[in-house]
Amino acid sequence: MGKIIGKVAATEKKPTTIDEFYFWTDKQRVLNPFDVVKVEHIEESITFGIIEEISHITDSASYLSNFISSDFGDVNTEPNSSRIGMNFVKAKVLGNNKSIYTPVLDGNKVSLAEKGEVLEALGLKNVKNPLICGYMDMYRAEDKISLPVHFNSQFLIGPEGAHLNISGISGLAAKTSYTMFIMKAIQEHYLKQKKGVDSIAFVMFNVKGRDLLAIDEPNEELSKEEKNRYEKMLELSSEPFQNVKYFYPYSDQSKSKTYSYGNDKDIDIQVDLDKGYKYKYVFEDDKLNLDLLFSNIEDSTGTMESIINFIITDQGGFDEVSSWSQFVSKVGEFTKAGRTSGDKEISVMSWRKFKRIVSKALNNSIFSNRVVPEKNEVRLRDSIINIEKNEINVVDIAKLDQDSQAFVFGDVIRAIYELKLGQEEREESEIPSKIVIFIDELNKYASKDIPKNSPILRQIIDISERGRSLGIILFSVEQFKSAIHDRVKGNCATHAYGRTNAIEISKGDYRFIPSVYKNMMTRLDPGEYIIEHPVFRSLLNIKFPRPSYKQFPNG
Amino acid sequence: MSKILEFIAKETDGKNYKSYQYCFESIDIPKLVYEDKKGIQVKKKGETDRSLTQYKSLKDLADKLSNSSSPLFKYFLDGSRRTYKVDDIAYGRRLYPIIAGQIGVAVCERVDRHSFKPFLLSNPLVISIPENANATTSLGSNDLFFNNLMNKINQQTILRKQNLKIEKILPYKNTALKDNDKYEDRGIAKIQNEMINLEQNIVFNLAKKKKLNDNSFLIKDGSLEYMKTSESKELSQIKSNYDCVVGVSKLFNPEALSNDVKDISRKIAELPVYCRTPAFMYQTERIPDVKFSVWYLRIRKTNSPFEGVLKLEKILVRDIQEDEGLDSDEIDLISANIINERNPVCYGKDARWANHLYPVYLTENYIKSKYLSDLHFINLF
Repeated sequence: MGKIIGKVAATEKKPTTIDEFYFWTDKQRVLNPFDVVKVEHIEESITFGIIEEISHITDSASYLSNFISSDFGDVNTEPNSSRIGMNFVKAKVLGNNKSIYTPVLDGNKVSLAEKGEVLEALGLKNVKNPLICGYMDMYRAEDKISLPVHFNSQFLIGPEGAHLNISGISGLAAKTSYTMFIMKAIQEHYLKQKKGVDSIAFVMFNVKGRDLLAIDEPNEELSKEEKNRYEKMLELSSEPFQNVKYFYPYSDQSKSKTYSYGNDKDIDIQVDLDKGYKYKYVFEDDKLNLDLLFSNIEDSTGTMESIINFIITDQGGFDEVSSWSQFVSKVGEFTKAGRTSGDKEISVMSWRKFKRIVSKALNNSIFSNRVVPEKNEVRLRDSIINIEKNEINVVDIAKLDQDSQAFVFGDVIRAIYELKLGQEEREESEIPSKIVIFIDELNKYASKDIPKNSPILRQIIDISERGRSLGIILFSVEQFKSAIHDRVKGNCATHAYGRTNAIEISKGDYRFIPSVYKNMMTRLDPGEYIIEHPVFRSLLNIKFPRPSYKQFPNG
Repeated sequence: MSKILEFIAKETDGKNYKSYQYCFESIDIPKLVYEDKKGIQVKKKGETDRSLTQYKSLKDLADKLSNSSSPLFKYFLDGSRRTYKVDDIAYGRRLYPIIAGQIGVAVCERVDRHSFKPFLLSNPLVISIPENANATTSLGSNDLFFNNLMNKINQQTILRKQNLKIEKILPYKNTALKDNDKYEDRGIAKIQNEMINLEQNIVFNLAKKKKLNDNSFLIKDGSLEYMKTSESKELSQIKSNYDCVVGVSKLFNPEALSNDVKDISRKIAELPVYCRTPAFMYQTERIPDVKFSVWYLRIRKTNSPFEGVLKLEKILVRDIQEDEGLDSDEIDLISANIINERNPVCYGKDARWANHLYPVYLTENYIKSKYLSDLHFINLF
């Protein structure tokens, strides 16, 4: 038996049940929500519980009694005895080591658990296909224990379950860092693994400043202690990612010929080292993706869709168009009043709307006439469908406007989907068996407000529903989980909750979470998460170290 | 599984009736029971300062003490009992009640402001039956018979299974009743006496462990004037044990001293807050060898006249005290310390909150928490 901290209390009003029990402790004893405790139970078994709520009570019948106890409101009164008081703790039953689930008995001793027991209680002992997802600190001072926490990777990246969703307010939740931590763990796991059938690749989008533009460069600021934590406790190296390729939007305006927040020099170095590329879109190959430019446009009558169809099927002379500029001027022909050619059912007004939207987007230099491979220019789609095993493709879209971002994003998703569906001419054995897509700011593409006909939303829903079997895994991140489309978040097997605000936790998505945990979510520190994963018996409060790759604190 | 009553009836050749069982304390309408007794002889001056005739404020001393020193009172004693009529039993031509009781006597220790712990506890289960339950002989001591009976009762499965024990059988007199006398009262009185014995033993224990001294006093809930007459040698021992014990009564008869002290009840009623009356010395007919010093102290200002007033008592231990009364400085010190015990209060939990001292209230609750529930206890019989 570990350190005894209290005894079970079963009363008329608050009985112990199969699911929960209450115990009292000394008012000076520091415990935290998520701490695991154990209770002696019948047949010499041990029942484990996880702390959900802690209350302090005294024998004071009412506030009035406290007021009177201060000489009717004299704040300077110092009594000889303080009121008798104690803490009582509500704990949820996690399990019993002999599978005895009758309620624990009044007066039984409650004690702190040891490391092995905590792992057993939380279902973390002998996790199959372990994949590190952080560590847990429990208890205080001399009782403190730290232990690594593992996912069952089959529930994170298939085939048992798939997808990870991370939510939390920006800045304080460190959502990107956490996703990167998990991906780092996955990459290392696969790099260590002998070559076999199973392989992995990653595609991630850089949406903020230079966040992900140096993920294969080490973090010089990592302290010795942090490195130790990586290596000793988490059994990971503190090295940055490997096999990374960066894709920047092409631009003719900057020195590095990219449209990015990245430093020109850095980008040039990456290009020289053959890991930096500039992507372009060429009309002849990419016209099929025109619909992606309309993913945020409400199109209830389907007219935009009709125009896109009209163009894709080469009607009205669009077969002769070979560049984006010709395309815009061709569209211009349809916007003139009194035209004779073309589909009569599409009104001039609709063509004008169409033109307005495409012209704005096509102004961007990524829409170009041709690709020059010698200058490390690529069609993004071609690179994505040729992604290698254990490779990471970082697509920079941070500086693009929202519609272009959606276009690039949609194009990449579509490419991956088609690659995994076997529509590309690649040997099955050469294609990574799993591709993880990291989407930051999922709310831009899959929020509840996105028009239902958005091609990107459809694609994301498809991936979240069928991705598990296809080997496409979605790691998505957003500020407010409640804003995300139900079918997308509903299909995520693993959820991580970072710091959020009070309005968010009042939403229906958090209904099943005990109120203390909910309130904890508003106070979590950066680097702290509450995790829900199919193999865990309860929500867990975990921490993770700072990223092992280069950080740009000023964006 | 035969219950205890059937066993007693069989063992003592009586006939039991399975009559209605009840707890005396739970059916009685609570009434004001004054804790002091009749037959008091009062000397006006019970303290060394003869000049004090009206009252004396102790607020300044109390404030000074609360800022500068640790509280005088470290131990708190309370005793209580619950009595039950569990059956009637016939011996010969008469019918006698069987009274059972739970006694609880405890001392709690206040180590510091935040730590209040039980120090000693005695909570026996007892039975009181008429003396003539012993049918064999009226000569010599009944002790052997009743001890024997008790041991046999304790062998009963119902007790053994629950790990319970009857610790004493207290025989009450079966002589014929006079006037308002009741056998029930005799049984209850026996149990009450046993409780008093236990209280004295516990004080004796504390004194023996050298826990009581000038910096570590004991508050006893209720009057100290409860001792039995004893041999003088034993009495002096008992008296010296009580050197550091103060009796604090929440309820008292304000007229108790009225024969000798003029207007006493009005003086008490008009006592300003944090003030005490002069101390009086008195002795009672029942225990003529013990002299007490008694004074009243108001610790709270309330609407009704006697709420917030405590009766404090101390046994005069030394000859000089018996002659001249208690040292007035000691009385002031005790009073000031009692004033500092006024908070917190048990308002809302106990109707007597204005007169209750919190550590005593806690001790009382501790004892109550150790009782078996009435239903549980009654159903042992």
